[in-house]
Amino acid sequence: MPEVVVSIGPHHPALKEPVNFKVVIEGEKIVRLELDLSYNHRGVEKAAEQRDFIRVLPLLERVCGICSHAHSTAFAKGIEEIMQLEVPPRAQYIRTIIAELERMHSHLLWLGVAAHVIGFNTLFMWTWRDREAVQDTVEEMSGNRVHYGMNEVGGVRRDLTPAQVTAALERLPNLEERIKKYVDMVNSEETMLIRFRGVGKLSKEEALRYGTVGPTARASGVDYDTRKDDPYLAYADVPWNVVTDTNGDVYGRTRVRIGELWESLKIVRYCLENLPEGPIRVTAPRNAPTGEILSRYEAPRGELAHFIRTNGTDKVERVDIRTPTLANWTSVAICLVNQNLADLPVIVAAIDPCLSCTSRITLLDSQTKKTGVMSFDELIRRNRSRDQGLVRP
Amino acid sequence: MTGPLTLDMVAGKMKEFGNSELVRKNRIRITTTPDKVHDTIKTAQAMLGCDRLITISAVDNTRTLELIYHLTGPHRMVLSIAIELTRDQPAIPTTSDILPPAAIYERQIHDLFGITFTGNTNLNRIMLNEDWPANEFPLRKDWKPGPDTFYGGIKVERT
Repeated sequence: MPEVVVSIGPHHPALKEPVNFKVVIEGEKIVRLELDLSYNHRGVEKAAEQRDFIRVLPLLERVCGICSHAHSTAFAKGIEEIMQLEVPPRAQYIRTIIAELERMHSHLLWLGVAAHVIGFNTLFMWTWRDREAVQDTVEEMSGNRVHYGMNEVGGVRRDLTPAQVTAALERLPNLEERIKKYVDMVNSEETMLIRFRGVGKLSKEEALRYGTVGPTARASGVDYDTRKDDPYLAYADVPWNVVTDTNGDVYGRTRVRIGELWESLKIVRYCLENLPEGPIRVTAPRNAPTGEILSRYEAPRGELAHFIRTNGTDKVERVDIRTPTLANWTSVAICLVNQNLADLPVIVAAIDPCLSCTSRITLLDSQTKKTGVMSFDELIRRNRSRDQGLVRP
Repeated sequence: MTGPLTLDMVAGKMKEFGNSELVRKNRIRITTTPDKVHDTIKTAQAMLGCDRLITISAVDNTRTLELIYHLTGPHRMVLSIAIELTRDQPAIPTTSDILPPAAIYERQIHDLFGITFTGNTNLNRIMLNEDWPANEFPLRKDWKPGPDTFYGGIKVERT
């Protein structure tokens, strides 16, 4: 049978973010994958070189809408190490709490997306409802649901009050119950077993050879986890375990992520109960001495690496960001080979791809060729005039 | 090899390729030259148990372009292999034949810095749009967007 190239994306119902796959298929089986990620390049690394450390943190936080705390923490801890700052333990604990809450909401979101991709929308609704409990906690602590703005070089910007700690602890038992339910479901629910088992298999050797990171690698029995390998924040003080699985397929990746939900909950509870007293930040100098550092961070999707070079000024010489999704594409291309085309969405979704999606709406008027940004009032006005049958203002 | 990796072990194996130094608790930096990159990485894989490439970082220090290969393994030590390249037509042999994950990083660096990885057959655009002009490398320090250059997309007048 001749080979056929199917172009999927950048806009396609099975994809959550703009990426283009050129899938070479023979009949129903995938032969090869070629990808293009260029739809989202925003030049963040270049922009980071123009801003001082205070202004670069909010920028880096906006690299990703889900793991925003991961990027700002990875950068802040790198700069703090170059400056040789001793960050107070209370700040480290607060950063850890936010980091693990972020992991929980990311994994719950992923579980919902994976369920949605296989058409199991009941689970999608359930996990996203439970995710709200995590989001509420984060919002109470930081004031925001997505970009928390908690970090600054030298510590955190907001302290936790006893009332916030109590409120967060009160939400945990219910979440615990729900996670138990999901552990049960993934091992017994027919719909999930049929669509997840044996799909997108990656052996331990392949996972190592192709540089897989995060839950995708741990599902193949690779026990790399930056939180254990190169402990940062409060991870060295907290009792927790690296979750691995031996299945190596989408089923294994689901089990690892649900296991990590459980571990994250334990870490959050431990940190809330043992929150040390003291200051939440130290004053950082304006300039950083010349130096370079590879700052590693275990983001929800896997190891995130920020390579930072400073030059003695208040700006970075270079910040090189390697996101976990970029590392995982190589292995996706490998585990798609000889799979059914219909399984492509679930295999791609199983690495939890994140293409740094947030961008601002820019309007283009097709007649005048003018661009601009629409205000909220204008949006409302246009919507209302559309209702009355007047499309153009 | 699962035991801890010390500076002496690394320095012993890497003596012929370049200087090794311990830059912090678990980071060893090895400075080498472009023609030895292949052998350095092969030695790290075979003798020092490095089975994993974290990333390839690229830096423009205005005099030269630097590439830093970060490798790790079951010993959890990070080996950073640093190489300097000339700014004029920078080229280095590819390492994607011995380290498959390097291919996508090389493609990215080729796109943004204009470094050629000889032997990598798939150096197509990955980060920049397909109609981005040739010989414009935005992450180089001396790059400034030209006022009259067309960088792809839809031609529009700005308000």
